[in-house]
Amino acid sequence: MKLQRKKLTASIPAFAMGDIGFLLLIFFVILARAQDDSHVRWQPANLKEADMVASPLASVTIDTGFKTYLDGKEISTDELAGALNNLLGDAPSGQRNVFLKVHKEAKASHFEPVIAAISEAGGDLIHILEPEEKAAK
Amino acid sequence: MKLQRGKLLVDPPASASSDIAFILIIFFLVCAAVQPETGVAQILPKTEEKKDKQDQSKNLEVSITPTSIVLNGSPLALPEFTQRITAALKQKTRDADRIVTVKSAPNTPYPFWIRVSQAIKQAGGILTLELESDRIINVE
Repeated sequence: MKLQRKKLTASIPAFAMGDIGFLLLIFFVILARAQDDSHVRWQPANLKEADMVASPLASVTIDTGFKTYLDGKEISTDELAGALNNLLGDAPSGQRNVFLKVHKEAKASHFEPVIAAISEAGGDLIHILEPEEKAAK
Repeated sequence: MKLQRGKLLVDPPASASSDIAFILIIFFLVCAAVQPETGVAQILPKTEEKKDKQDQSKNLEVSITPTSIVLNGSPLALPEFTQRITAALKQKTRDADRIVTVKSAPNTPYPFWIRVSQAIKQAGGILTLELESDRIINVE
């Protein structure tokens, strides 16, 4: 004679769905931050004529310690042109925007080699600056 | 005689909590991401090795130091420089003649440099940087 086992039903508790969704989103947000440079500390220079600018393919920053960062990762000036070339790929001219965020206390010896590297990679250079009216507030 | 109503307990459905959390997070992400940036575009000719001196001698030359701007040998303040470079570039029609070679002292501050480069751009000039390249030559 065969003994019949009781069938065990396993169901996912609906209460946990919120937590699962939340954790998944946090995971994706952290992944997205890999290209973020918000942790790099710098202060923009001011200029009257600063206008709204289009979104970039890459962002180069010179921070308060005058170190260079490409999309939030520290990089030497010598490697910058090559790395930018890879990032910009075959994008047509006009869509090769590269943001340059230079700390306002930086000197020519810090930012000129970076500008030269962006130019060498064929990037469309955009200096990120603060409008003077906004800075005065 | 009073009729007693049955008490209705309204419980939010637990299955909706994931949707609520999702929508809330999307809302906060969108709020955080919309931070428009301001700046100025700068057109630079592609970096290349120095050409013949003869070609470059036709171009306007600007030297920037922390305190002054030197245009073709004469030191000027920024407002005066803006007038002089506008006048100098007004006569030039070809793109090749509108190239302005800029050489900066290593200690030139960025805010001053950007003001000078903007003045050149507004005058219709095409900015070119002249960089001093360091070379190490090994002598055996």
